[in-house]
Amino acid sequence: MSTATTNRTGGMKIDLTVLGPILALVALIVIGILLNPNFLSYGNITNVLARSAFIGIIAVGMTFVITAGGLDLSVGSMAAFIAGLAILVMNTVLPSMGGGYGVIAVGVLVALAAGLVAGAVNGLLVTKAGIEAFIVTLGTMGIYRSLVTWLADGGTLSLDFAMRELYRPVYYGGIFGISWPIIVFAIVAILGEIVMRHTAFGRHCAAIGSNETVARYSTVAVKRVKTMTYVLLGLLVGVAVVMYVPRLGSASASTGLLWELEAIAAVIIGGTMLKGGFGRVWGTVVGVLILSLIGNILNLTDMVSPYLNGAIQGIIIILAVVLQRKGGAE
Amino acid sequence: MTPALALDSVSKSFGPIEVLHGVDFDLRPGEVHALIGENGAGKSTMMKILAGYLSATDGAVRVDGEPVRFASSDDAEARGIVMIHQEFNLAEHLTVEENIFLGREMTGRFFLDHKKMQAKTAELMQSLECRVAPTRRVSSISVPDKQMVEIAKALSRNLRVLIMDEPTAVLTGSEAKVLFKQVRRLREEGAAILFTSHKLDEIMEIADRVTVLRDGEVVAHGPVADFTEDSMAAAMVGREVSDLFPPKRKGGGEVVLEASNVTSGRAVEGASVTLRKGEILGIGGLVGAGRTELVEALVGLRNRSGEVRLKGETLPAGDVAEARKRGFVYLTEDRKGAGLLLEKTLRENLTLGVLHRFAKPLIDRKAEDAALTKAIEDYDIRAPQRDMKVGNLSGGNQQKLLLAKVMLADPDVVVIDEPTRGIDIGTKQQIYELIHRLAGDGLSIIVISSEMPELIGLADRVYVMHGGKITGELEGDEVTEQNVIRLATGLSVAREDAA
Amino acid sequence: MKRLALTTALVGLAMPLSAETIGVSIPAATHGWAGALNFHAERTVERLEEQYEDLDFVLTTTPDPGTQVSDLEDMVATRNIDALVVLPFESEPLTGPIQRIAESGTWVTVVDRGLSQEGIEDLYVAGDNESFGRIAGEYFVENLEEGAKVVVLRGIPTTIDNERVEAFQGALEGSGIEILAMEHGNWSRDDAFTVMQDYLSRYPEIDAVWASDDDMAVGAIAAIEQADRTDEMWVVGGAGMKEMVQRVSEGDTMVPVDVTYPPSMISTAIELTALAVMNEGLPVSGDFIIASELITQENAESFYFEDSPY
Repeated sequence: MSTATTNRTGGMKIDLTVLGPILALVALIVIGILLNPNFLSYGNITNVLARSAFIGIIAVGMTFVITAGGLDLSVGSMAAFIAGLAILVMNTVLPSMGGGYGVIAVGVLVALAAGLVAGAVNGLLVTKAGIEAFIVTLGTMGIYRSLVTWLADGGTLSLDFAMRELYRPVYYGGIFGISWPIIVFAIVAILGEIVMRHTAFGRHCAAIGSNETVARYSTVAVKRVKTMTYVLLGLLVGVAVVMYVPRLGSASASTGLLWELEAIAAVIIGGTMLKGGFGRVWGTVVGVLILSLIGNILNLTDMVSPYLNGAIQGIIIILAVVLQRKGGAE
Repeated sequence: MTPALALDSVSKSFGPIEVLHGVDFDLRPGEVHALIGENGAGKSTMMKILAGYLSATDGAVRVDGEPVRFASSDDAEARGIVMIHQEFNLAEHLTVEENIFLGREMTGRFFLDHKKMQAKTAELMQSLECRVAPTRRVSSISVPDKQMVEIAKALSRNLRVLIMDEPTAVLTGSEAKVLFKQVRRLREEGAAILFTSHKLDEIMEIADRVTVLRDGEVVAHGPVADFTEDSMAAAMVGREVSDLFPPKRKGGGEVVLEASNVTSGRAVEGASVTLRKGEILGIGGLVGAGRTELVEALVGLRNRSGEVRLKGETLPAGDVAEARKRGFVYLTEDRKGAGLLLEKTLRENLTLGVLHRFAKPLIDRKAEDAALTKAIEDYDIRAPQRDMKVGNLSGGNQQKLLLAKVMLADPDVVVIDEPTRGIDIGTKQQIYELIHRLAGDGLSIIVISSEMPELIGLADRVYVMHGGKITGELEGDEVTEQNVIRLATGLSVAREDAA
Repeated sequence: MKRLALTTALVGLAMPLSAETIGVSIPAATHGWAGALNFHAERTVERLEEQYEDLDFVLTTTPDPGTQVSDLEDMVATRNIDALVVLPFESEPLTGPIQRIAESGTWVTVVDRGLSQEGIEDLYVAGDNESFGRIAGEYFVENLEEGAKVVVLRGIPTTIDNERVEAFQGALEGSGIEILAMEHGNWSRDDAFTVMQDYLSRYPEIDAVWASDDDMAVGAIAAIEQADRTDEMWVVGGAGMKEMVQRVSEGDTMVPVDVTYPPSMISTAIELTALAVMNEGLPVSGDFIIASELITQENAESFYFEDSPY
């Protein structure tokens, strides 16, 4: 095999599939620095990273679902529903438990458990009932969205004021000057990258997304792995909600609106294939940061009308994918 | 006579690797020309250059003596050069008729003229003796029928040159005969036909001239009358190929697999099978007789009723992972659709079925690499690069990799479905030897094959299936072509002692 | 212009003779204000149905203009409504359908969002977006010094948002107050939080924030608290959300005042319509404009509704 390695000249060529998203991110950072000196300030960087955390944590889970050939449109409304549920439960147990960290622990457990269950429902409907993921999650998307509207009676569910003060540090606090959402996002991303690249589960996801029949004939437990991707995603939605609730202490029908599309967009910008078969978590992280930075830079300048925010995001998404396809073609 | 299509010292490189080295070739009007060679010899590449799918790195393509540069396959088609690929180029969800006229639909004044297209399709299919209705969806028809649709599609064009990459690989003997009839008709009409095949007897039957490729070079060419099957095989492999099959051995220890009264949907009905340790058991029958379905039901890829006992213990139905754990594995006939991930590397494919052994819980990349190195050695897998995509390997090397992958599960019982489909003769021989070696090591092997010599040459004992049922069992001297065919077509065996 | 007395007068009216059906079509509760609108509509319908046996209501909530048109068609076709109370999702696409219903002799009450042609509806009940922006602007002019710097959080890009912002800018004209930036927070807490964070990064000096909606004010305040700049600026929202009214009444320095845009205007519209269909000839047609008011610590109590979700 020594001849094979000497024959390769590919080292010189720029691999756009790898570099594309990173180049876009670097370009955005350079633009940001040029346009506003505060861009690199500690405060701004913390803000951008922390606000990326919700979508980011969800997008890491979405990477697995998409890599295994699935899709989940329900995550945005699932997040809203879980946030509403957690707030409701915390407010309900508050009188009997009399406040304190116990109430928050209950809220966190409810959020994680609800995420797990919601993910399992999606997963089992896809694998056991054999309904297309698009249809299943389109359905659950509508269900969770109206459930949260119903829970909130059309208005806003707000966490009890005293609890909010107690819970607040989970979003605003941190250690060594790094806020908790950023730390959690980083941990989720690193674990996600390891699971995707270095475990049997990650490899099985890619195999299933690449060719489900081959995976089945190779004795991979196709249904179990596919279900697990949705369960994992649901759990991560729960984690995102645990970070989200302390930020504003409320949830309403407009919570998490379009998060599913942002998460999917981040996954695709990062180089994961929409049809499945190949996924990379670090790319998703880059994708999430790209999307956040576009909004941040537009807010920091008057150069472009904010009406065009969506258009710029759209162009970046398409451009990122075009670059990757071109890079992958030869 | 000016050749209809010719190559003038054509070379072709993919990246740094040259796969064709200065090939000269000519194809004349009114001839059937066979292109043969081992897998990876460059046949497909050469055909794709002739049909405009690839462009030559060096040298010239000539049409009627004039050098041309095809911008695309459409360019070549406009000049009457049509190629039928090994992988079908059909839109699965469209009907037969829609596929045949795709891109060249006949229209009435405003709308599509379905009546006219259907009539024309029916006529084409009839000339191919294929009874598929023009309105059937392609996804619902069988593989040989799909091949016929491809051929009908080609015939429906004004073609001067027809190029076919292994057209008979998925056809039965009688279907191939029908195809040859059409090929002869085209030849009489003055068309030039080029095809590849690994079935040397076919080539003797239908071809006028033969070109032999080896490692990207033409090593022999001339009228077919100058060749024998043996000399063709020798030219392809570069050495004498005699005795394709190792000598028969006497198999048979204790029973390792025992299935009784297995039924699966409408494909398999009440089949009972016994398999002994160290035995090579053949399953014969025509395409569609239920052979693949039977073994898929046994191994757990398909629902079934009836009992299967593996080494004395009952095997649960529909649990292929459990079967693998207990040492019972299946190597699919559908290498590309169900066997290998074409977009992934050799390493990822090799370990896919037994990843748990390498993951503790992180995958041990070094152990994986070591397993690949061993597989490449043990199974003589010839890959230009270790980290290449499996889809870029030749068919023979894919098959060897698939075999290595299945064997990595350390099975006691292995089913090999069509072990040498679409594989050159040199690799075939390697695989036969391998199967024998495995059986000698105490493995029990079931071989399903549509190739009669293969079945007869390999198997110690043969079950023959017809219409979902096992119609007979043959052993020793009874395993003859005549007996297998009689059972496969639903007749009983003509035994001397029965008279 | 406030005529609350008129609605309360309804309670004492005599029972009518024939059964009448009133259709009510409003946008779905996708944000706080619309949620309150739904709350008030449902409560009013419930109360009136209980009060009058011969009065039936059909209440639909719609997520988009297309669905609203279908809803209206269904109401006319299957429920044969005698009167319609409608808050058009968007003016342009609904003008035609509502006009046809009006032409068929059905009483039409349009709420808040005017149709693009005049003279279609029998009764028009609306808040006043112009005064909503102007009153906030006037408060800024009175309480800020010349050269003060303010940032604005706009709503979802619509006519309503434009009217409010133009009036706000108009009120500030000539005062010497500088508007640093106006980005869209889309009437959403989360979006407003993000935009405000970026404002805080971008401008070292901000004296006041006009959030143009209480939901956005909540998000903006959270961002200001995070940046620890609560002493530097105050925030004016709008619409009269419970939480905000409470802060005003408690004398919170961050939230000195609020501006009303009462979602309960739907109750006014439904009750007036009921009055009209059950008492033919009663003079209730015309325009009924509910101007915005400034909520201050002194009057806050009268704007606080304990059981409202908003």
